[in-house]
Amino acid sequence: MADVRHRLLAAVLPAAIAASSLTGCSQRLPVDSGELVIAFPGAPSAIDPRLSTDAYGTQILQMTHASLLRMDAAGNPLPDLAERWEERSPTEIAFRLRSGVRFHDGRELSSADVRYTFQWMLDPRNRSPHRSTYKTIRAIEAPDVRTVVFRLSEPFAPFLAGMVRGIVPAGSPAAGYSPPIGAGPYRVDDYQPDAGIRLSRFEGYYGGIPGIEKVVVKFLPDSNVRFLELTKGSVNFVLNGVDPDLIPAALKNGNLVTEEDAGSNVSYLGFNLLDPVLSDARVRRAIAMAIDRGAIVRTLWKGHADLADSILAPGFWAHEKGIPPLPYDPAAARVLLDSAGDRDPDGEGPKPRFRLTYKTSQNELRRRIAVVIQEQLRQIGIAVEIQSLEWGTFFADIRKGNFQLYALTWVGIADPDIYHYAFHSGETPPEGANRGGYRKPEVDRLVEEGRREPSREKRKTIYGKVQRILARDLPVFPLWINRNILVRDRRLVGFVITPDEDYASVKEMTLRKGEEAGK
Amino acid sequence: MRRYLFSRLRQMVPVVFGVVTVVFLLIHLIPGDPVEIMLGESALPAQKEELRRELRLDRPLAVQYGDFLLGVARGDLGTSFRSREPVLREILRRVPATLLLSAASMTVALLLSIPLGILSAMRQHTLLDHLCGLLAMLGLSMPNFWLGPLLILVFSIGLGLFPVSGYGTAGHLVLPAVTMGTGMAAILMRMLRSQLLEEIRQDYVRAASARGLSRRAAVVRHALANSLIPVLTVLGLQFGALLSGSIITETIFSWPGIGRLTVQAIDARDYPLVQGCILFIALCTVTVNLLTDLLYSCLDPRIRYE
Repeated sequence: MADVRHRLLAAVLPAAIAASSLTGCSQRLPVDSGELVIAFPGAPSAIDPRLSTDAYGTQILQMTHASLLRMDAAGNPLPDLAERWEERSPTEIAFRLRSGVRFHDGRELSSADVRYTFQWMLDPRNRSPHRSTYKTIRAIEAPDVRTVVFRLSEPFAPFLAGMVRGIVPAGSPAAGYSPPIGAGPYRVDDYQPDAGIRLSRFEGYYGGIPGIEKVVVKFLPDSNVRFLELTKGSVNFVLNGVDPDLIPAALKNGNLVTEEDAGSNVSYLGFNLLDPVLSDARVRRAIAMAIDRGAIVRTLWKGHADLADSILAPGFWAHEKGIPPLPYDPAAARVLLDSAGDRDPDGEGPKPRFRLTYKTSQNELRRRIAVVIQEQLRQIGIAVEIQSLEWGTFFADIRKGNFQLYALTWVGIADPDIYHYAFHSGETPPEGANRGGYRKPEVDRLVEEGRREPSREKRKTIYGKVQRILARDLPVFPLWINRNILVRDRRLVGFVITPDEDYASVKEMTLRKGEEAGK
Repeated sequence: MRRYLFSRLRQMVPVVFGVVTVVFLLIHLIPGDPVEIMLGESALPAQKEELRRELRLDRPLAVQYGDFLLGVARGDLGTSFRSREPVLREILRRVPATLLLSAASMTVALLLSIPLGILSAMRQHTLLDHLCGLLAMLGLSMPNFWLGPLLILVFSIGLGLFPVSGYGTAGHLVLPAVTMGTGMAAILMRMLRSQLLEEIRQDYVRAASARGLSRRAAVVRHALANSLIPVLTVLGLQFGALLSGSIITETIFSWPGIGRLTVQAIDARDYPLVQGCILFIALCTVTVNLLTDLLYSCLDPRIRYE
């Protein structure tokens, strides 16, 4: 049904844009009063840095809360609330807080608030989903109002990545943390679950007064409605929420412009290495060589994606450059399958070499990708049955290792320690994310070494080796990285697109008026 | 009447109990683990076990079911896994939006169906009747996922009369109500037409005409009331369905109703919230059906409940 709906609407919408431009509505739009109206494809489960796990919650918190650190596009830590930090030893890290930072309610932010926030998450009674991120924290000390010292039970290189976590005022309970008070550039005026959130700029923000006075975030789950709201002007900012098919139609509205930049979320094809057929690296390689990723990016993603060679995006500091790309070569793929003993029983005939099941979500575009991959694999003699499952069922199957092939996306990788979680032999399902059951002592040794090593340069070398081994063994096949696409009103300027879709630069945005607006 | 009411209320209990039991079993049997969804992928095994214990998910299903029923008896539907708020509060927060949209949709349906149904019956086999038939067919065959965006295109984008989506003002209500009301109007209109056609041929209508009553007066004053009982049955069923929310219309118009809440709860395997939502929907449905039955006696004095 979703397919029919998408096609019907995709056919009608461009005509509607033309019609709407002819009727020329002259209503006063939010942008006329300097209001930034953002559309999110979904609603957050919580607006609390200690509990939020979904992207929508994280993105709102980037506007409302300040953290000790923030990360640049390459994953390097930058000061936020902490003006500096010092690794006194591999297990002792001290942060010096800025002076004069205030929460939205006027209270001054101190080391006690930082300690409270992290201790709250570490308290098992609070059931914070982030507790495991901080499992190596042994003690948190606040020797004075501007100093916080974290003592770790063991050296843990990804520790700094975990410091990107909004700080809440000491004593804030989870129930009744409403409105959620932080020290970020915007304060929450009103929050309606499932509907939207209204923010206004915080005049006491330590980083200067934000340029846009009012920000509204609408939760609009229907992609066509997001597009229509944009067209009407009742929404004036959508990051990665407009279907690639509809972007040309959106640009017919003269007030809208698009910007595009590299993303960091890597889509990949997962193999079950415990499966008798897929346990052979030659078979996995053949499958990878039979998939024409370039064609899928051009046709289904309309060019808004880059081919991936690792589960780390190229801009990330630990990404290994120079991994030889795997070419699209169905003829070579057939030879590889023959050499693996999986001969085609009737040559070009209808009988397959073997059959595989491919699991994917019910997302319309993911299903269309599955159909293309099914056809491409059919051409080298592999019959693929597609199972498009409801998200909860699909993910439960993947988590359990109940699959042969599946397609998924790694989202929000902040540290290369992800390799430990996803490829260490001790991280197999149901607990770990080594869902395909990959086992390689050399990789185990390297990822263990990587999480203990404090030197970033040495870590880069370690994870570079890991990436080269994985590119050879192919426990997963990195497919592509979707580019971040922003559609905005041309008068709202200053937002910086980052690979991880960070909304922190909303505070840098301004409204151009008059002559400037056309530029 | 009072005895009848008590008897119906007693009958409601096993119906609601049955629905809630089936939903409880189904939601626990389908794949997907709320603990993993809550804690995220990187949680430690011990942490997951801890949470399972805390949420009492480690106990046998029969015990969990017993706890749930005891909670319901005390008016405590539990706490949402996802938002950590009491389930009752989560549901009550959506009730105004759901009631508003249901009532508005029903109003649209009645405003369209009653006059058109009467006209259609009184002018049987005329151009007007055929036009009404065509409208009914259109109303029935246009799915909400198509009609909703179409209305947005015309009335929001083209004419700029209403907001595209959202909740809060009367303007926000119009398009979702029309989207949901038109399909229902089509059913009611056709049903009213066929009922009226039967009634118009009855002797009492002919007698009224013979006494000099105009055809319109005979139909509106006498035949209409007798035609409304089957219509009311359908109306009651439809209203029950409206109260349970429409995921498609609510999604298109970003309407914060019960339907979206239920689907989000299922996606998150938020067992207490799913159970709470289904309990609410079941209660609404049986209550509306009971009210419909009671209304029969208002329309037809011959109907008495003993």
